[in-house]
Amino acid sequence: MNAEPYSPAMARPRRIMVLGLAALTTGFACVEMHRLLGARGTTVPELFVLALFTLCFAWIALSFWGGVAGFIQLVSHSRVPGLRWPTEDEAAGPLTRRTAVVMPIHNEDPASVFAHVQATYESVAATGHLESFDFYVLSDSTRAEAWVAEELAWSELCRRVNGQGRIFYRRRSDNTGKKAGNLADFCERWGRRYDFLLVLDADSLMAGDSVVKMARLMELNPGAGILQVPPQNVGRSTLFARLQQFAGRIYGPIVAAGAAAWQLGDSNYWGHNAILRMAPFIEHCGLPVLPGQQPFGGHILSHDFVEAALMRRAGFTVWLVPELGGSYEQPPPDLLAYAQRDRRWCQGNLQHLGLVMAGGLHPMSRMHFTMGVMSYVASPLWLIFLVSGLFAALHEWFFSPATLVDFQSTLPGGAAFDTAGALRLMAASLAMLWIPRLLGLGLVLADRDEAAQMGGRFKLVLSVALEGVVSTLMAPVMMLFQSHFVFGTLLGYRVTWSSQQREDTDLPWSEAFRRHKWHMAMGVVLAALTVAVAPGMLAWLSPVILGLWLAPAISVFTARASLGLWAQRRGLFLIPEEVAPPTVLVRAQELSEEGLEPVDDALDHVLMDPRAHALHLALLEAHPMAGVPGALASARRKLLAGAVEPLSPQEKSAVLLDARTLSELRGRRLGVRA
Amino acid sequence: MDSVTTHPFLSFAPEMPQARADTREALEGFFLDFGFTGRGDLERLANWVLGTRELSLSPEAALALARWRVEGWLAEVLGPSHVGPSLLVKGRAAFVLVGGARWSADVLMREPRTLPEAWRRAVCESVPVAAPAEVPCQMREQVLVLNPFMELVRRWLRPAGRADVSPSR
Repeated sequence: MNAEPYSPAMARPRRIMVLGLAALTTGFACVEMHRLLGARGTTVPELFVLALFTLCFAWIALSFWGGVAGFIQLVSHSRVPGLRWPTEDEAAGPLTRRTAVVMPIHNEDPASVFAHVQATYESVAATGHLESFDFYVLSDSTRAEAWVAEELAWSELCRRVNGQGRIFYRRRSDNTGKKAGNLADFCERWGRRYDFLLVLDADSLMAGDSVVKMARLMELNPGAGILQVPPQNVGRSTLFARLQQFAGRIYGPIVAAGAAAWQLGDSNYWGHNAILRMAPFIEHCGLPVLPGQQPFGGHILSHDFVEAALMRRAGFTVWLVPELGGSYEQPPPDLLAYAQRDRRWCQGNLQHLGLVMAGGLHPMSRMHFTMGVMSYVASPLWLIFLVSGLFAALHEWFFSPATLVDFQSTLPGGAAFDTAGALRLMAASLAMLWIPRLLGLGLVLADRDEAAQMGGRFKLVLSVALEGVVSTLMAPVMMLFQSHFVFGTLLGYRVTWSSQQREDTDLPWSEAFRRHKWHMAMGVVLAALTVAVAPGMLAWLSPVILGLWLAPAISVFTARASLGLWAQRRGLFLIPEEVAPPTVLVRAQELSEEGLEPVDDALDHVLMDPRAHALHLALLEAHPMAGVPGALASARRKLLAGAVEPLSPQEKSAVLLDARTLSELRGRRLGVRA
Repeated sequence: MDSVTTHPFLSFAPEMPQARADTREALEGFFLDFGFTGRGDLERLANWVLGTRELSLSPEAALALARWRVEGWLAEVLGPSHVGPSLLVKGRAAFVLVGGARWSADVLMREPRTLPEAWRRAVCESVPVAAPAEVPCQMREQVLVLNPFMELVRRWLRPAGRADVSPSR
């Protein structure tokens, strides 16, 4: 299927529609809000409230019209213009270019990582195009135990699939630039061997035919710099994760199709499950280091948006291709893990504020930066909006000669308050949030097979309703979490860029109370203030108050795999990937369950296990890494002098980097004099 | 090393007076790294290395001899493409990963060409190849003028001042 090459003119009418309608809707809402606030003249605090409302409403209006665009795109069953898709003959032919499939990892569970690599590898092999792909696990692991376990897992994987020479493993001892630095290091060493780079995350999984299609699309579209296939959340059992998976399956397609439909070749890159054109990536996407100190300066944390912007600046297009499918990742297992991930992303996205105005970027790249910032700043804005609304009301009371009764009459529920108008505005806001969800639900309901795979139409609707209730209750907590992260970042708190929690483990009540105590306290304060000042607002604020009070219980119960599986048995929150899982998911699950030989103490393992010893020394010999002389010297003092003092992590790593010391120690352990 | 030296092998170890204890220990340690753990295997391998040589051989000299012997064996099993300074380390890893010690000391003491072809292939395929040869290039850091408008003002006010750009790594 030949398509007209992408040009900005193609996108213009679509963007005018989406952005114009979002602006128009925001304008109407703003006028209505101004009318409500200005019933007795507009004060300065009320103007501030109005400005905040406009910003917040614009954000949800843009999401709403994006969702509508996605719905139209999905209903029309057409592909977005500008991207050339293969003909049947082309699709059947061999790939002519080479692709490196890379998975950067950092202290992850090796069993899961290598299970995913193996499942993806086997899936690609099943397409018959394996010759065009090499696989790399790029480790930035700092824990010695993770490092040694990865080496063994890699060796075992190569043995299982006969993958020596096609599956590679490289560990950096210097983690400069975190994940982006890890990828840059790869590109500088081996990038020139390949035409394309397919980036996976530690929990990514891709079906082989999708991988092949991505490579083929890159071959057919020489102007395409990045193709992003939105990953779908799968593979977890906790109630929280299953809710995320379900929500992603119902609303995700609408959101992704919408973004693809109006952004076209100026879309964004999400950091993984995407294919990049290697030469321009090397040439034009070397990340700058931002001036100043962290959190805004220094190395760029969320590299993906910036790389997409640089790729676009270099004249290559960036596409979102949701119709390819076969792209998976795992959601965080519980609310706290989700918040932890959000904290990292929040700082990364806020760092982009400094790039919004940078010279030479495409306007859509600036918009992506702004949208990334808004996805976190929206929470504190809503919070400030709520607090400012209360303050504006109190301001009016203090500065106008009114009694408490008069004052209360101007608040929701009061006689002087335009309750009908406020309800209209609230209904419009809720509609903006809910209509895209209902459109997504409608699309699934219209497809009998898909609805059947999601528990049947009745349970599907019930699941959407329950998911709506739970997400509404979680929203205030997430708002507070995100507000905390935003303010924390603005105040200069640094985020430790650690690996994400990916295991399904129950959350203890003590931990939940510890993390939510301030949320509960805020719920109590909010309820007390509302009862004292404006009892009429209690009903309006009850979802917020209830969500805050119940935060620990919500965290604990939704973190339980037992509840998630119970819901699954009852046909709730089902996704087709649970009912009829694709081969690649089944295989990854099987392999993960097989597990790996545990490595409790890396040094002990390397010294006592001949397999680990021989392999580790061979890898050190192939790619010597610079150690830390001081740490090695002190480690040798401790070990060779027979001291009982344990090694520090740095000393352990230093020993593991030194072949001579390892051989010497192994000899001593085995009672052999060299 | 382009040519491969074929080493004489002993299919049996004649009864000999014992070598120095420390030499024997060093050789046993060497072969323990190949995954051999049985006392019989280790003794036979030590004898294989020492052969009929002088019994007062120092541990260092015995180890050098062992390396030479095993490298020769590995070179023949793995082929010339693997011959180089890291032959012993890579070959030992391949031998251990394929579980060569399960075949007893005989496997090292036999002429490589007499070993089953499938077994030799398995050893070759087990040589760890952590990464292919590098093709170095530089991923140049991109320069971004963070605020072009302010940059214009700055140039107007202080033409020689430092630009508001991302600094070098």
